[in-house]
Order: sequence, then structure tokens, then C-alpha cells
Amino acid sequence: MAHRILVVDDEALIRLLYERELGSIGYEVTTAESGTAAIEMVADDTFDLAVLDIEMPGLDGLATLNRLRQAAPQMAVILNTAYAIYKADFQTWLADAYVVKSSDLQTLVDQIQKVLENR
Amino acid sequence: MYTQIENEVERLTDQPLLECLGHAGIGVFTIDADGSIRQFNDTAAEIFGIDDNTPWDDLSITRIDTFLSTGLGDKFPDLMASGEPFVGTAIGCTNPNGRFMVLNMSCQPRTDGVGGMIGVVEEVNTSGRRTEQVPSLIRELELLTEVSAALSSSFELDRVLKVILTAATASQGLGFNRVFLFLLDSENQKLNGHLAIGPSDAEDAGQIWSGLESKRQTLRDLLSSYEDSSRQHDEPITELIRHIGLDLSVESLVKGVCESGRWANLENETPLDDPTAALLDALGTRCMALVPLISKGKLIGLLAADNLITRVPISNDSVQLLQLLANQAAVAMEKARLYDEQKKRARELMRMNSLLKESQDQIIKIEKMSIIGELTSAVAHELRNPLTIIGGFANLMLKSELSVDLRDYLGIIASEVRRTEEVLEHVLDFHRSSQHESETLNLSDLVEKNLKLCLGRMHQSDAQISLSLASEKLMVYGIKDQLAHAAYQLFRLVAGELIPSGSAEVRTERRENNAAVIVSFECDDRARLQLTRALRQVFTDNKASQRLTIMVAGETIKYHGGNLGVAAGADGAPSIYFELPLCEEG
Repeated sequence: MAHRILVVDDEALIRLLYERELGSIGYEVTTAESGTAAIEMVADDTFDLAVLDIEMPGLDGLATLNRLRQAAPQMAVILNTAYAIYKADFQTWLADAYVVKSSDLQTLVDQIQKVLENR
Repeated sequence: MYTQIENEVERLTDQPLLECLGHAGIGVFTIDADGSIRQFNDTAAEIFGIDDNTPWDDLSITRIDTFLSTGLGDKFPDLMASGEPFVGTAIGCTNPNGRFMVLNMSCQPRTDGVGGMIGVVEEVNTSGRRTEQVPSLIRELELLTEVSAALSSSFELDRVLKVILTAATASQGLGFNRVFLFLLDSENQKLNGHLAIGPSDAEDAGQIWSGLESKRQTLRDLLSSYEDSSRQHDEPITELIRHIGLDLSVESLVKGVCESGRWANLENETPLDDPTAALLDALGTRCMALVPLISKGKLIGLLAADNLITRVPISNDSVQLLQLLANQAAVAMEKARLYDEQKKRARELMRMNSLLKESQDQIIKIEKMSIIGELTSAVAHELRNPLTIIGGFANLMLKSELSVDLRDYLGIIASEVRRTEEVLEHVLDFHRSSQHESETLNLSDLVEKNLKLCLGRMHQSDAQISLSLASEKLMVYGIKDQLAHAAYQLFRLVAGELIPSGSAEVRTERRENNAAVIVSFECDDRARLQLTRALRQVFTDNKASQRLTIMVAGETIKYHGGNLGVAAGADGAPSIYFELPLCEEG
């Protein structure tokens, strides 16, 4: 059975890109356009892993990470952002991995595999 | 003068002469052996307050002298007994008519057998006295005015001192042969010889004075041209006193002069203590005027003057005038000292202003860098998402079935997006390193570490780069991460772009006050041409990513007070260098 991945990003094209890329590898991908939407979806559904953007309007990625940890402790979370600087923020240590956004999605894919294997 | 008159009166005692003397303002009178005034002309009557109503028995000199207080009344019996004359000058008194006057009086016991005394009296008022002194007072005033004008024309201590000594030695001034200036070393309680004016011997004096005589300069001219007139001649005598000091912790006449603030006029007969005698011996004289220099009640030095060459005795009047000059000199010296202090303070303020300005410029620069950094960072982050999308979809499309052309085009898009992302990464690295504090670091260590790091990461480069580090530490002050980033980018440029398969040497060395890093290339003529072209593209042409990378590195080095550039080596091969100002360790 394919792993279920939730992609949370306010950028629609990023959501589309990840959905296509990860889908092509064999993951079952669902997307959410905001942190609030992600929390609602987690309440109703089960996911193996979330790819979570940090800079988002409304509930940002770090606050969302906190809520997700409470709502779905078994779900892995990978923070995926354009900002490398958040890596120094201890709140990000709650996540299973931290990947800076890049056009080369291989790093993200590798991290997803690694995290899922370690679960 | 009075003696002559008295003799004449005594010999002639005729009325016309008495009247004549009276017209000249001179009173003539006789006193009998009993002490009563017997004969007098009108002037004497007026002075003594005698008129027609004065009773004859009221003409006793003792009674009249109770008003005049000349002392003659009391001394009369003794003078008569001894035959000595009486002389009183400038006696201030009030006569029996209540009129204040100043008198000169002279009486002589008579030798013609008549007995008693004959005398003359003259009223001299204050203005009269001054009138006699007017020429010398005018001279003094002129001297002081000239000196004052010369002193006020400069605040430079050396000039002030020269003016003072010139005024004391010039024949148009006080006319001393030699004048020596000693300044107080208050810390060691010692007077040290500082400056002197005057001839060293008679021959020298002849040359100096004849030279000055031929010029016929006024004191003002002399004071304003003191440099031309005296400097050469004064060197030996100044040299003489430079080695003379006087300990003020030991009791001496000189110390007494300094402590009391009163001048002294030492003559041959003046008994001298050892320290004073030693001083005078060192100066080769026993006759000398000593005048303290006192400002605001504090001793600042001593003027010593003599007439060694001409042997003219030093009058007390000259010494008094020298004291007046010294008083002016002390004020001028104090002014010069204050002026010097103000100048020093002004210089210090200018230096501090300059530092402040530099700091302000630095702050403005930092602010600008910070704003640029923030802006760059924001732009870089905003670009990341679109680049991820463009590059991501290109990569995604590359996985599908495509024609060769489309595959090539998409490959180009994906590769250029990746390169742009790397540029953004460098910019963001620079911004992140800006957040750190400055520190003192050894540039050689930084170069070594980053060259190894760079070569370790660049697996695709076959560049052979050797390292030669300076034996001494090259301590520079700056933001370590920023400098490391600049050095790393420079080495990356060398190994990755300039000589991907050639040889180069990186060396560090001290260049005067800078620490320098030099990258020199070993290449043949053809490779040198290619290298020059590549360097031109990077450093001067607007060539994409490397240009931006080197620009950021250059700005980083410039921000740290250094510079980055390209230079031609001894063999004509180009080299890249950057320099940073050296600082003290710690």
C-alpha cells in the first residue's frame, strides 16, 4: 500500500509540482493550501507524512507543526521552505527533517524515503 | 645746586639776589642761634605760612616745623653743635596755613661768626617730580609698549622668549650684554637653562654690536626681525646654559629670589652661597641681575642678566625695569602655554572629529550593507519558489517522452535554474555571515581552511593549487564568516573557472601594513592569454554568476578596509590578490 503524503503549501504551483513528482514515484499525495486546512484534514484522515512549508499566511508552518504533532503524533513531518535560516530555530527541531526548496527535488525525495523508512 | 646758592647768599646776602631767587620759586631764609627765623624772602614766607599778622615770637623753627615736619626743628640744636648740614627732599607736609605741599629743604650752619643757619626751601609738587622723571618714564613706557606689541603678535613660546631676551639685551631696550632664561622644572624643583642671548666673548660682541649698529634698527624692527639678528650668535651661549641647572630644594640666594619674588642685583662684593656662586662661575661673572618670572603667583622661571663684556655696573633702575619686562614676559609665557594647550586640544578634537566622522561613515555603510542585505535576502527568497517551480517542472517533463530538441531545451532550463539557485545561495550565505560579530583572526589560517574546503568540494576540477603561508601571523579584524565566504568564492573561481586543469599558487604575506593573499598562475603564453580573457570577463565584463560572486567578495573585502584586484606578475602572468589591513593581535 502506498504511503500517504500531505503537501501543505500556499503556492498552488508548488502543490501541483509536488503532487505530480511524488505521485510519479508512487506516493498517494493530498494537498492543503494552509496550515488550518492541513489540521482539519489530519483530524478527518490519516497520513504517513506531511511536507510542510513555513512561510504561509495565517497559521504559519511552525505553529502548524505544533498542532500537527498534537493532532497526529504518529505522522512524520518534513519542513520544506525557501528559508535556510529557520533551521537555527529550535521549534523546527520538532520536525523529522528540514529541506530547503530547490528545483532539484531529489533531496526532498531522498529525505521522504529516509524518514518513512525510519518510522 | 643748593650749596652753590647758599654760598652765594651767605656771601652776598643782598636783597636783589633774594628777590631773584624768589622769582625762581626758591625760598631763602636764615635762622638765628636761638632757632628763630630771622630773614626770608617772599617765597620762604609763603612756604612757612608767615604773613604780616604772624607774631615775631611765632617764627621759631621748632614751632613752624610742628606743621612742616621736615625734622629740622628737632635736629636744629644737634646740627648747630656738629656743624653738619640738613638736607630734606620730597617732604610732604601741610604748612601753618593748611596748604599741602612737597618740599626740598637744605640748611647749613653759618661759618661767618654770626651763628645760626642759612637755608633754602623749594616747593616741589608731584607733577614737578614726575616732570623730572618724564624722559626716563617715557623711555620705559616706549620699551614696554614695543615689547608688549611684539609679544602680542605671537603665541609661539619660542618667539615670545626670543622677544623678551632681545628686549633685555638690545641697546634700544634695557641694554644688558647677556641675558639668560631659566625655566622651572616643577616636578624636579629645578631651574634649567633654556635660552640665552648675547655674545660669547668680546670679539663676538664687537661683531654683533657693530652689525646691529650699522642697521640702525628701532626696537620694534629689532624685535620683529629677531630671528635674523641674533640666532647664529646665540647658539654658543644658549648651548652654555643648556647644561646649567639649579636645584631649588637647596637653600641659596637664587632660591630666595624665586621664593620671595623680589629681584636681586649681585655685585662683586655680594656674599654668595655655594649654589649661587657655582651658577655665576658657570656663567663667568660675579655681577648679575636676577629677576624671577612669576605668573599667577607661581614661579615659572628666572631671568639672569649681566654686562660681562662692557663691565658697566648694573643699576637698580635697570633691574627694576628688567623685572617689569619679566612680569610681562611671565604673562606672555602663560598665554603661550595656554595657547599651546588649546592647540593640542584643538588637534585632539580634530582627530576625534575625524574618528567620529569615520565611525559615522562606517555606521552608514553598515546600515546600507544591512539594508542591501535584507533586500537581497528578501528578493532571493521570493525567487526561490518560482525557481523551484520552473526547475521542478522542467525536471518533471524531462522524465516523460520528449523529442531530442525539447529534451535539450528543458535540460538548459533546468541547468540554468540550478545555476541561478546557486547564485542565490551565495547571496544568502553572505547575508547570513553579515549577522556575525567582528573578531581578530589569522588570515593565513582562514585561507588554508577555505582553500582545502573548496578543493575538497570541487571534485570535477583538476586544478593543482599549492599553498605557501607567511611564517608570521597575519592578524586581521573582521567578520570571519564573511571573509571566509569571500576567500572561498575566490578559490572556487580559480579552481572552477580560471584554471580547471592548470596550476596556481596561493600565498599569504605581509605587505607593509596589510595582510595579502596572492593567487599566481603558472601557465604558458597561450594559457596566459586565455586566463587574461577569463579574468577580464570576471572582473570587468558583466558575465553572469561569477561576476556577481566576485563583486560580493570584492565588496566584502572593501567593507573590511581592504581591496581585491588583478595585477601583472614579474613574468607578465596575471595574478589575483586581496589585501586586508593588519591589526594588533588581541
